[in-house]
Amino acid sequence: MDQGLLLGLLSAGVIVLFLIGVPIFLVIGYCVVGASLVIDFTLANVGVTLFEGLNFFGLLSLPLFILTGDLIAAAGIARRLADFAHACVSWMRGGLGLATIASCGLFAAISGSNSATTATIGGIMHPLLVKDGYDTRFAADTAAAGGTVGIIIPPSIIFIVYGFLMNLSISDLFVAGILPGILMVGSMMTVCWFMARKNRWGSIEPLDMIRVMRTARRSYLGFFAIFIVIYGIYSGVFSPTEAAAITVGFCLLAGLLVTREIKWRALPDILLRSGQLTGMLAPMIAISIVMQQVFGLLGAAEAVANFVAWFGDSETIVLLVCMGIVLAAGCILESLPVTVIFAPILAPIAVAHGVDPVHFSVIFLVGAAIGFITPPFGLNLFVASGVTGIPYSKLVRFATMYMAGLVVSWLLIAFVPWFSMVLLPKLAGA
Amino acid sequence: MSLILAPIRWLDKNAERTLILFAYSAMALIIVYAVFERFILKSMVPWSTSIPIYLFLWVTWIGCSHNVRQRTHLVFNDIRLRLPRGWQFACLWFDAVLWLVFAAIVLTYTVEQVLLVEMNFAIVQGTNNVMQWWFYLATPVAWSLLIVRVLQNLWDDIGRWRANQPFLIDIQVIGKA
Repeated sequence: MDQGLLLGLLSAGVIVLFLIGVPIFLVIGYCVVGASLVIDFTLANVGVTLFEGLNFFGLLSLPLFILTGDLIAAAGIARRLADFAHACVSWMRGGLGLATIASCGLFAAISGSNSATTATIGGIMHPLLVKDGYDTRFAADTAAAGGTVGIIIPPSIIFIVYGFLMNLSISDLFVAGILPGILMVGSMMTVCWFMARKNRWGSIEPLDMIRVMRTARRSYLGFFAIFIVIYGIYSGVFSPTEAAAITVGFCLLAGLLVTREIKWRALPDILLRSGQLTGMLAPMIAISIVMQQVFGLLGAAEAVANFVAWFGDSETIVLLVCMGIVLAAGCILESLPVTVIFAPILAPIAVAHGVDPVHFSVIFLVGAAIGFITPPFGLNLFVASGVTGIPYSKLVRFATMYMAGLVVSWLLIAFVPWFSMVLLPKLAGA
Repeated sequence: MSLILAPIRWLDKNAERTLILFAYSAMALIIVYAVFERFILKSMVPWSTSIPIYLFLWVTWIGCSHNVRQRTHLVFNDIRLRLPRGWQFACLWFDAVLWLVFAAIVLTYTVEQVLLVEMNFAIVQGTNNVMQWWFYLATPVAWSLLIVRVLQNLWDDIGRWRANQPFLIDIQVIGKA
């Protein structure tokens, strides 16, 4: 049978597997196996790459930042940061909603995971938002949308994966993500403020500077953890893996000895939870690396390059088409497979048209982050649904409001490279 | 009989848990200590960059097996949730078959890989006598465990089908179990 026809049938089969709810790891796995058989490529590669593909020291920051996220939640540091954020903005209409998004931004500066950000901040803030008169669906969507910055504000698990795959400095990527992350927080806060004002949700409390100072003092552990990560990576003193190790040690000691909210007996459960998340993400990286190799043999990059070239040859058109592909992929896939499959294909095309590789990484990953709240597969919406008990389908409506705000900030990030690049030159002197 | 069953029950409950806890804690402790040593003691243990990676691989694949048992792997389940019960049961069977076939492929080639590393007496970088194949065992051990977990899940699903109970198809939150 013709190879093209076989690959067409394989693609259809893979789509069917995905749609009937087969685990995404297996969907990618069978795509790899099928394509390998079609092009007569050895399956031994699967066995070798599942182990060797992950054999890279820089990737160790992934499990460590996952553990950090779980430790700051268990140590009560996340709750203190949320209290501080609320004290700062409670004087505005929609103050609690704004505080939820700001808390997500602060949490994201210590943790590197979108779902951890949504689950932790959503768990803390959703009951308070509902009590304060917000629509329960909007409250859940606020945490889901806020969680998107979890992978943009450093540290970021997905930046580690991107840097690993594209051979870029993970420190550079982290620094490049700082301002775009803040811009995303700003755009979501604008949407929240507008919605709260329009629907008269939430109460307004006068600004209480004593409360601001008190909650800031109680949050010093969180600020210190943020300082360790940002300063360590920005100054070049630590590598991301070392920064992750230091943050793990700091959060553990803070939880055990300072806040005393982490009990020795609870440690195994925290580690197991982090291990489970690692066991979900890392196998996807490994299998996606095999897929990338097979795609390379199939000439997928060339096919996509031709597709992009069909729209035009200018940098703007190429960027817009790449962004469209990332957004469309993000609607049906989680950010990790989107990154592992599409980054090695799209990044060389964008770079060949004059886009800086670090700038493109930010554009790509902001798009992947927006995918967390785009139906039908919006992971953060699933997490928010799990945390709040609201059916997934009911969360879609308000999520589109946040999506609109995020797309505006995405366009700004894409076409004003200053946001991604302005902090970078300082690294060179470090 | 209970003398035989008790350890099996313990293993069923704690196999992945124990391996993850050991590998994760050892990995984190080695890296944290290595950073402390580098910045404070101004020295470095040579294996502090090699062994943690291998431990990470153990966490990864044992975690993968644990996720199968807990049904916490990423899925797009919107359509499956709306299917009739019989179709849902068929999909669960289909998942199990897909896992088992994929596990057979992985096992075939990773066992080959372990044997090759063992025959070459490969030693972990920075050590004198720590054999690489101890760590390469992560994939075959985890995938063997994964096969057991798939069969256990299938057994549970058959039980739910017979008892007319709802299947576990909704997205399971990590750490809930």
